[in-house]
Amino acid sequence: MLKKEGSRDRNLKTHQRQTMTFVFVMVLVFSFVLCGRLSYLMIAMAPHYGVMAKELHERERKIKAKRGNLFDRNGNVIAGNVSVSTISVIHSQVKDPEKVISVLSKELELDENEVRKRVEKVSLREKVKSNVPKEVSDRIREYNLDGVMVDEDYKRYYPYGSLASHVIGFTGADNQGIIGLEVTYDEMLSGTDGAILTLTNASGIEIKNASEDRIEPISGKSLLLSLDINIQTYAEQAAARVMEQKAAKAVSIIIMNPDNGEIYGMVSLPEFNLNEPFVMSDGQKNTDMNVLNAMWRNPCISDTYEPGSTFKIITSAAALNEGVVSLNDSFHCPGYIAVEDRKIRCHKVTGHGSENFVQGVMNSCNPVFITLGARLGTDNFYKYLDKFMVLEKTGVDLPGEAKAVMHNKANVGAVELATISFGQSFQITPLRLMASVSSIINGGHSIVPHFGVAETDEELNIIRKLEFESKNNIISEDISNTMCNILESVVSEGTGKKAFVEGYHVAAKTGTSEKLPRRNNRYIASCIGFAPSSDPKVMALVLVDEPQGIYYGGTIAAPVIAELFDNILPYMGIEKDKGADTDEQSKQ
Amino acid sequence: MARAITARAKKAKQAEKAKLHNYYDYGMFMLVIFIVAFGLVMIYSSSSYMAQTHEDYNYDGAFFLKKQLFSALLGVGAMFVVSKCDYHLLIKRIPIIRITLATLIYLLATVLQFVVLFIGRDVNGAKRWLQFGPLGFQPSEITKVAIIVFVAYVIYLSPRMLDSFRGFVKVTIFCALPIGLVLKENMSTAIVLILIMCGICFIASRKKLYYFVAAIIVSVLFAMVLLFGEGFRMQRFDIWLNVETHPKGFQILQGLYAIASGGIFGTGLGESMQKLGFIPESYNDMIFAIICEELGLFGAIMVVVLFLLLIGRIFKIAISAPDLFGSLLCVGVLVHIAVQVLINIAVVTNSIPSTGIPLPFISYGGTSIAILLAEMGMVLSVSNRIRGY
Repeated sequence: MLKKEGSRDRNLKTHQRQTMTFVFVMVLVFSFVLCGRLSYLMIAMAPHYGVMAKELHERERKIKAKRGNLFDRNGNVIAGNVSVSTISVIHSQVKDPEKVISVLSKELELDENEVRKRVEKVSLREKVKSNVPKEVSDRIREYNLDGVMVDEDYKRYYPYGSLASHVIGFTGADNQGIIGLEVTYDEMLSGTDGAILTLTNASGIEIKNASEDRIEPISGKSLLLSLDINIQTYAEQAAARVMEQKAAKAVSIIIMNPDNGEIYGMVSLPEFNLNEPFVMSDGQKNTDMNVLNAMWRNPCISDTYEPGSTFKIITSAAALNEGVVSLNDSFHCPGYIAVEDRKIRCHKVTGHGSENFVQGVMNSCNPVFITLGARLGTDNFYKYLDKFMVLEKTGVDLPGEAKAVMHNKANVGAVELATISFGQSFQITPLRLMASVSSIINGGHSIVPHFGVAETDEELNIIRKLEFESKNNIISEDISNTMCNILESVVSEGTGKKAFVEGYHVAAKTGTSEKLPRRNNRYIASCIGFAPSSDPKVMALVLVDEPQGIYYGGTIAAPVIAELFDNILPYMGIEKDKGADTDEQSKQ
Repeated sequence: MARAITARAKKAKQAEKAKLHNYYDYGMFMLVIFIVAFGLVMIYSSSSYMAQTHEDYNYDGAFFLKKQLFSALLGVGAMFVVSKCDYHLLIKRIPIIRITLATLIYLLATVLQFVVLFIGRDVNGAKRWLQFGPLGFQPSEITKVAIIVFVAYVIYLSPRMLDSFRGFVKVTIFCALPIGLVLKENMSTAIVLILIMCGICFIASRKKLYYFVAAIIVSVLFAMVLLFGEGFRMQRFDIWLNVETHPKGFQILQGLYAIASGGIFGTGLGESMQKLGFIPESYNDMIFAIICEELGLFGAIMVVVLFLLLIGRIFKIAISAPDLFGSLLCVGVLVHIAVQVLINIAVVTNSIPSTGIPLPFISYGGTSIAILLAEMGMVLSVSNRIRGY
């Protein structure tokens, strides 16, 4: 009986079959989960791990693409390439580490410990030094050291050293743009690196049968600029002179074609050597990024300032275009004007007395412009700020452009409006002022200031012209002509007398801005000028930052405009106007 | 008359015999052969570069393939012979020494496991190998069969035993010695052994609650150690969690590189990059990563499906087995293969902390493949006894 029961127990029972099914189902479930995990790894994570794995397998010998040149408008190469080498060591192939260390440290003039660290590091390939001059790398190659690789590539070279340094910019160790045009046009210039791809096993030995892929590099495209090295050189010399004479902290000059926005020159002293961008003006290498960034900063586009009286051009154009003033409207300046409960002074404390609108501009009389501002009203004023795009970036093809710092329209009361009218209590960049004034004097179309003119090949054959946006009918052409005439009279009879160039119709407006905080006797003297006034071909803006002694724009910035135009206008082939000559002579 | 009766009885006996042997799972047999052949291909693919380039292997690309092929042939022979024997032989007392074959295997495994601790060959700081002349083998693999057979035998002796918790403790005590001996040198294998034992008991037992409670308690303890036992937290967990940054996560990370490089259809058989020394001993526990790299997601899932098909066959035989003993043998084998496949793939995909468990039939390892094939023979032998199937 007992035995029978035992044998029955020894048969398989339903619950046992159920449990087996349960176990089998669990196995299926876990398998599905693992298949899910596999799919995740092999599909979703493939780019992540796949790339890491590829880096591990491939010994990639880069063939650097030749970076495109930068040409000035006359076809001079202002950024080119020289042949240099990169020295690296392959740890697993170095047979005599001590010799390698001593040779490399001697030839590359590196600290022995530094080289030792690189040589002894267990890695597939360790870069010891890049941008090694060709003579040095040829010498190293002659030692025939095992495990030392010499790869040739190109290094950026700037034949003109510090010329237009803030504009051109420079490239880093991998030939990538760091600042300036080298950044903006990096993609166009850099081309596509080529490579020799070989596969290696874990010890870094190349696999013999694996096919060697060679991807040819594609050279970068070159770029034709509107920059003119001669104009830039004049401008730098003029800037240096005024900086030295006035013991100024900095001087910026921008020279531009107001008709199409092509910039001929942009100076912000002090410039730096593009071939050694990490060396300060005192000849010392600096690694403090804050100091370096300050040196590399381009104040013409990255710093804002109070435009002061130069901004009165914009107020005038707005008032004329809106019809709230005519040329013969008469004003009276007692030396101040009351706005609400405030008394705002004119720069001439004794007052300009009776004057018409044109005389008001020539005198740069604050009460006149405050009145214009009040006549326009906040809404209209902002409408014109918008039209002249004062509050927008210019869209210049340089990195790091700053935007205007302006009152919120809702917070603008009569006093704020008054101060804006004569160029105070807000800040814009120098280039912004130029672009906005351009649209007033060029017949009324907006421009985007720029350096890039065309994409070319190495032989300067144009591949593609670069296009920049331009909007028409900013103001009417009549008003534009009127503004040119008024501004010419500023030079012939008003505050801008010192911008006069014999034989040319130069128009200009000067400005003097007190830097914040006020009452520290720190000023920016400025002058914006263009010529010929009847058909403006060139426009220049000069900013002298913190001049010592006399600080009036009309006194120290206007002569710089005259000096520049005296050189530039003949250089550009703009003929002297005999009539202008006689006119002036008769007046004198 | 008497002759006629004898003749009829003879006929009946023959019919009975035919009925007994009317089923043999050739499908499963072929499936096993296929997996083994696939494994050999993958071993050649993953090991040939290392073998060709190292002096230790006589620069012979087929070094590992040859060794594995030898074991595989031995194993297939063993599988065939075992499958043709009646598995009840395991519980018959052997004349003279008067103990069953099951007990004998158990004793043998325990003794070998004990011996290996003293005269074992030291490989990577662990004594897991016994060497007899040119032949070496891992006793821990034999212990796996021993546990399957012995636990099934103990339950066969008193099927009701596991209905109480004491019964389970008793089984555990029986197995404690061989498992403990394995644990000393090889934790991963010990985990497989414990899971095989628990799996068989779980199925035989009428009271399932114990197992769920025990599983929960073990998980909670585990979590506690992880959460609060900062000091005990094992390095493996750190590696698991920070596989990309941990300096010792190298091997697993290399495996992940291999898997992720595979894509949908892989780089092609023989085209793996990671086997070129990036994954150390890629023909071993990490071979699944190479399969992923060369055959892609498609190939990897195919391998999983192959194993599921095999496990499905074993499952079918287990639920149709003529008696509890045969069924439990199949369950033991099923758990053995399932646990190794799942843990191996989970480790390779970094789904769980790393532990060294080979992929059955495919990873390089002579003892492992031979023993696994013998186990397959055991399952086939059970299938052979299924009546009227």
